[in-house]
Amino acid sequence: MTRLHLGLALALGIAMVASLHIGLRTYAPGTVLAALRGSEGQDALIIATLRAPRTLVAAVAGASLGLSGLLVQQATRNPLAEPGLLGVNGGAALAVTLGVTLFGAGTLLQIGGLAALGALAATGIVFGIAALAGGTAGPATMLLAGVTVAGMFASVTQLLLLVDETALETLLFWLSGGFADRGTDLLRLGLPVLIGGLVGAMLLAPSLDALGLDDDSARSLGVRVVAVRLGALGLAALLAAGAVAMAGPVVFLGLVAPHIARRLPGSGGMAGLALTACLTGAIVAVVADIAARLVVAPGEAPVGAVLALVGVPLLVALLRQRRGVAT
Amino acid sequence: MSAGTPAIRLAATGAALGLLVVLAVGLGSSFLQPGRVVAALAGEGARMDVVIVWTLRLPRVALAVLAGMALALAGALLQRVTRNPVAAPSVLGITDGAAMGVVTFLWLFSDSANVLNVSIHWQPLAAAIGAFGFAALVAALTLLDPAGPSPLRLILYGVALAALAKAAVTLMMILGPVYRAGQALTWLTGSVGAAHWSDVAIVAAGLALCLPVLAALRLPFAQLSLDPDSARATGLDLGQSQVAFLALAVVLTALAVSQVGAVGFVGLVAPHAARLWHGQFTRGYLLSSALIGGLMVLGADTLARTIAAPLELPAGAITALVGAPLFLWLLMKGRRAHG
Repeated sequence: MTRLHLGLALALGIAMVASLHIGLRTYAPGTVLAALRGSEGQDALIIATLRAPRTLVAAVAGASLGLSGLLVQQATRNPLAEPGLLGVNGGAALAVTLGVTLFGAGTLLQIGGLAALGALAATGIVFGIAALAGGTAGPATMLLAGVTVAGMFASVTQLLLLVDETALETLLFWLSGGFADRGTDLLRLGLPVLIGGLVGAMLLAPSLDALGLDDDSARSLGVRVVAVRLGALGLAALLAAGAVAMAGPVVFLGLVAPHIARRLPGSGGMAGLALTACLTGAIVAVVADIAARLVVAPGEAPVGAVLALVGVPLLVALLRQRRGVAT
Repeated sequence: MSAGTPAIRLAATGAALGLLVVLAVGLGSSFLQPGRVVAALAGEGARMDVVIVWTLRLPRVALAVLAGMALALAGALLQRVTRNPVAAPSVLGITDGAAMGVVTFLWLFSDSANVLNVSIHWQPLAAAIGAFGFAALVAALTLLDPAGPSPLRLILYGVALAALAKAAVTLMMILGPVYRAGQALTWLTGSVGAAHWSDVAIVAAGLALCLPVLAALRLPFAQLSLDPDSARATGLDLGQSQVAFLALAVVLTALAVSQVGAVGFVGLVAPHAARLWHGQFTRGYLLSSALIGGLMVLGADTLARTIAAPLELPAGAITALVGAPLFLWLLMKGRRAHG
């Protein structure tokens, strides 16, 4: 923990408190405090059963996606890598949809397991294609492969839902990606995944630091390059799966958060950076969720659309950097 | 190859399209045998058959074929101009730009009772404006790229801006009230659903306007397949012809997308199929691409409305299932050959 982390934790706290107050109806601090203490009434009900869960889900899902994005970017040395753009979220969503339509999966554990399977399979497919494209495959090829695979998964998901209307009703809302109206029981799935992912990232951190150079230098430092890379990618897929199980497929968060984290001074090595990425991811998610309530009020925007408005300019800026994104 | 072969291959493609048209017209909630379809098409046969064929099924079939042709031509032009086999309207953000144009149009001109207060026939113009806007933005970003313009950059910027357009479309649909918001959703995935003869007439007129231009530009189109220096050496004004073909491709895309929605990957797959089947330097390559594009969209739409009848699936989802694997394969293969 550095001063940066303390500062970010404080900012996250402020954002989460703000998220309890701001919305279609903005409450006074007194009302919020009373609601959290368990007072009665409509306002208290809205704060305790709607605002508080979505704030918590946003923070946990955001932290998971931020860390997931950081791990993928570090392991592949690809600044464009992101679980959403690489089709990992889409794979998890497709697997859950398949499970629900074909086998009637419904329990938390089943959905979490399916999401994990789908995320791992999608990661395998995209990186397999990138590997088959030859050693010359740059970050851009991987991005194109990921976007296409994500599109394919999305159209299969859509076809399944059109054919099975009951599944459509249960899943459509979840598939649109967002933090609103998610139950707190989902946190029992997402929080352990996040903690496990963070611990795993800490264990891999020294090797990932070395991997930041190039493969040969890392090898000469005694790092088992392939094992570390596969471990980091697997961890990233599981983190993304946890986030998808909670919030549905949310794109761009895993791209935005690590890039902000890298630009903040004072993280230290990879271990510190992992924590920074978690905190920034959580902050970005909570803030985007507040924005989603406000931009099209009285309607509610999908948080993915809000994130795209921030994420696309960032992606374009990254593409314009001469270094780093060799094609 | 003998001189007659390209013509024979074109005739074969045309015949396949004709057969599919007869089949597609026949398929539906009440099945018509091919014989009855042909009779009804000729204006003979039972009165009921004539009504079913001419007012219910044929507009949809014609719209699918024409939209497929426009998309395939746009794809063939883009691939030649960018000298990149993975270029296609849906990859370059043009399709999503057109979609954004249409939704903006519906949003701006519908009142609180969800009624459109201008004619729906302005919709193709809105699509064209959106498509041109995004095409210009993608082109500008590529040209201003610090690493210098390259076909791959073009596609990456296209992918990025397509995501932006999608987000904007989602936000606008929620902001509503949007005229036919429910239909707008299906339309966005690409569906030939509610076709009228007036829609068919718009696409047909647009195609008819583009064809003479294409015929006149036959020589530059062939010259563009050379590398830039050789093309210049043959007396081609490279920049001018590239802009002309890009503009033509954008118009064709906007035409198709405004009527049938974002049916993806047709502009990618059809020219490749034509290249394999007809050869891209053989006379009639563009015609062959257009015919195959028509076959593709008609096939996808027919499949989409019969496979889970009475449910209608979006045709765009089916073309994506065919197109996405091809795109990935080209990506894997292309990296070795192209830079």
